[in-house]
Amino acid sequence: MIRKEVSDSQLVSLYKKGDEAAFEELVERHKSRVFTTIYLIVKDQYTAEDLMQDSLIKAVNTIKSGRYNEEGKFLPWLLRIAHNLAIDHFRKAKRYPTIVMEDGSNVFNTLEFSEDSIESLQIKKDTHALLRKLIQELPESQKEVLIMRHYMQMSFQEIADATDVSINTALGRMRYALINLRKKMQKTNIAYDQNFYRK
Amino acid sequence: MTKTFTENDLLRYVYSETSKIENVEIENALLCDQQLQESYSQLVSILSDLDRCVIEPSDRTIQGILDYSRSSNLPSVLK
Repeated sequence: MIRKEVSDSQLVSLYKKGDEAAFEELVERHKSRVFTTIYLIVKDQYTAEDLMQDSLIKAVNTIKSGRYNEEGKFLPWLLRIAHNLAIDHFRKAKRYPTIVMEDGSNVFNTLEFSEDSIESLQIKKDTHALLRKLIQELPESQKEVLIMRHYMQMSFQEIADATDVSINTALGRMRYALINLRKKMQKTNIAYDQNFYRK
Repeated sequence: MTKTFTENDLLRYVYSETSKIENVEIENALLCDQQLQESYSQLVSILSDLDRCVIEPSDRTIQGILDYSRSSNLPSVLK
């Protein structure tokens, strides 16, 4: 049952009372934003699917055990869980990048492997897949701000606090991220929206 | 006299982080500053591209999450 007029907070309250349809609506509302946030960090669809499940399961456990803080908003809270799990995974993957199976395949389905397979195939038919790939190629500090501001809906001040920089630095990183995306798009020489951000 | 705005100001504006007073000032500046208009439209364009490049998890993943929730034996918290 779709209940667009009901707020996230109301849906969480209903879910606490055992209304599984309320949880289904919450998932439906926010699955794209959460999944995109994870995917842009880990760069691999299969890993992102796993982390998506882990994030929501953590949310379920927290809400059902009564540990959910109702003062906060549901989506930013869920995105923080997803972001933290994705960053943890990313760091582990960087730390152990060369573990292989007996047949020589990479047990962690590493970032480089994923970029050359699934994503490269998508790019041929999907310009937005190219944009996602270009986001992933941004310098870490710029990518971090872009994900936090655009997909996690954190304010520039919250980003500045979370990353221990000034608000002007956070704004500057976002601006350079957008400039870099435009340059990279031009470099790929793919027909694209000619109104792309210029500076 | 119209105030001069920077790219950072525009960024805060498109993300609704400017004050009401700043909004009025920026909107007035947009009416008469062609360069600012161009920067604004380019900014809006790329941000809408970022909106459109979101992806969805598989149905299987979502079903797994919903199944977990339904089968979770943790007690629901009644308020």
